[in-house]
Amino acid sequence: MVASSAGRFSEAGLAQLTEIVSHYPDAGGAILPALWLAQREYGGWLPAEAVAEVAARLGRPASEVQGVASFYTMYNMQQRGRHHIEVCTCLTCGCLGAYEVIDRLEQLLGIHLGQTTPDGEFSLTEAECLNYCEAATVVQVGERYFGGVNAGNVADLIDRLRGSDDCTPVSLSNAIVEAIVPGRAGATHG
Amino acid sequence: MAELQVLLQHRNVPGIDGIDVYESHGGYAGLRAALGKERQAVIDEVKASGLRGRGGAGFPTWIKWNGLPKSGPAQHYLLCNADEGEPGTFKDRELLLKLPHMVVEGMAIAAYATRSANGFVYVRGEFVESATQLRRAIDQAHRRGYLGRNILGHSDFCFDLHIHTGAGSYECGEETALMSSLMGERGQPRLKPPHGPLPVVSGVWGSPTLINNVETYACVPHILTHGGAWYAAMGTQRSPGTKIFSVSGHVARPGNYEIELGTPLTELIDLAGGVVGGALKAVIPGGSSVPILPAEKCAGVTLDYEGCQAAGTMLGSGGFMVFNDKTDIVALMRRTAQFYAHESCGKCTPCREGTRWMSRVLDRITAGAGRMEDIDLLLSICDQIDGRSYCPLGDAASWPIRAGIRNFRHEFEHWVRHGSSPIPGFVPPVRSHGPSPVPGRQE
Repeated sequence: MVASSAGRFSEAGLAQLTEIVSHYPDAGGAILPALWLAQREYGGWLPAEAVAEVAARLGRPASEVQGVASFYTMYNMQQRGRHHIEVCTCLTCGCLGAYEVIDRLEQLLGIHLGQTTPDGEFSLTEAECLNYCEAATVVQVGERYFGGVNAGNVADLIDRLRGSDDCTPVSLSNAIVEAIVPGRAGATHG
Repeated sequence: MAELQVLLQHRNVPGIDGIDVYESHGGYAGLRAALGKERQAVIDEVKASGLRGRGGAGFPTWIKWNGLPKSGPAQHYLLCNADEGEPGTFKDRELLLKLPHMVVEGMAIAAYATRSANGFVYVRGEFVESATQLRRAIDQAHRRGYLGRNILGHSDFCFDLHIHTGAGSYECGEETALMSSLMGERGQPRLKPPHGPLPVVSGVWGSPTLINNVETYACVPHILTHGGAWYAAMGTQRSPGTKIFSVSGHVARPGNYEIELGTPLTELIDLAGGVVGGALKAVIPGGSSVPILPAEKCAGVTLDYEGCQAAGTMLGSGGFMVFNDKTDIVALMRRTAQFYAHESCGKCTPCREGTRWMSRVLDRITAGAGRMEDIDLLLSICDQIDGRSYCPLGDAASWPIRAGIRNFRHEFEHWVRHGSSPIPGFVPPVRSHGPSPVPGRQE
């Protein structure tokens, strides 16, 4: 059961929420997927009203939903850049040029890690292992993965994103990866 | 020595992610074979295979399956742990991307054997494309009668499968934290025996719950199709079968390699094209949580649960990272400590505080301001976390640092003495900001 509430959920979003709630024995189970929906409905982040709407629709206290949302790093509790760039610097990427990629990105964008460009186009953070180590260095932008990024080709990635109107989730395809990094990307052997 | 591909044999066949091609390559034969048997006979087949959990712990799969109640009401939940987050591991990602039906089929077989009517695959939030592939596979399987009500005409077998998407938390790969997260809570662990119930007795929503890793489920259709004895004939006696290793780092051809358990470690490096950029310095064979092996200890080590243990490390998840002699081990350990400090869920004090202290001390050493007593201080922190935390994340944070110091103490001493790396020309990264100040929370 999804309760009525003031808020910004679209009809399609509400239909999805109703379907999702039916998968769980109680509404609590739907908190994570509902937050994902809310993040989409509210333009990529979770302002207090988004948390309040999820809580109201699921019949849970807002404090509980806020507590859950703030635990997970993929729920954006503040607005990010239109292109949110996360560079994996974990063990393999860190040994294969990730820090040079960050240095170059800071130069290109004129911001430091944790910051957003003044025009709101780009934000930059360091990521923990994205589990695509075969294509190190790996960069995640929104829901897309880019493999084989290095200090030499990361400017191409920025150009590509800058020209792209499409910041909505696009699923990864090898074509996207290979366009950025000929040779190395998606380096699955065999 | 070559690869022995059972799970990955058809991974590059065009369309194998769809149900028609999957079926034409033997897909769902395992489920049909299972449904021709009594439930206990399916569990016995898995027992005969000797399959051990592929998520990292290597626990015999059949014992978990056998632990669910076999009579009375069957409100059981079947969970698949696809929250792959162990640094260096990327096998589950590829399995879901290319062979999603194999995972669905394995889960359907397990659901039949354990009388589970409800299933969830907990997929890591970042794996958008893998989740999309899995969703399509679930829909196709549903339409063809492999999921849903009265599966393949079996009046007594219904199984619904859904996807639950994680949202960025390594801790949720720990099975009890995964259960918390599935129920809509913060991803923090629950008590296990002897202090709390086993998940198979009381798991999600108080119901008996079975959790296996993606790769474990993917083994099951093959075992039911060809028989447990066939599977057990591969690998070693105590570590039967094949295992996927995710090879990355300083090798010519990084990628997923499926080999028989018991294969010599050095052969896996050769399979991946050998070490590049210098001579071999060290290997982390099972993901960031396992002790690092220096090159001189790699000879003669076999990749099976026992062989890795005898060498002082672990098979873990199969995240096999190779490092050449240009690698600064202290910087590598600093980054490892940063990972665990960031990912500690904050529930228990030894892990929450200890991982942050390790990270800070290693920051100090690689900033050139280390003190000689810092090295033993790190070992002391390891001892105070290991075995004293609520869940294995604390243990996993201490093992790599301890092994790093034991095997490469001279490099730590060099850093302290000279304030610089023993690797000529190596400059440690200067971070604009460090790990999150409060573990388990956002910056």
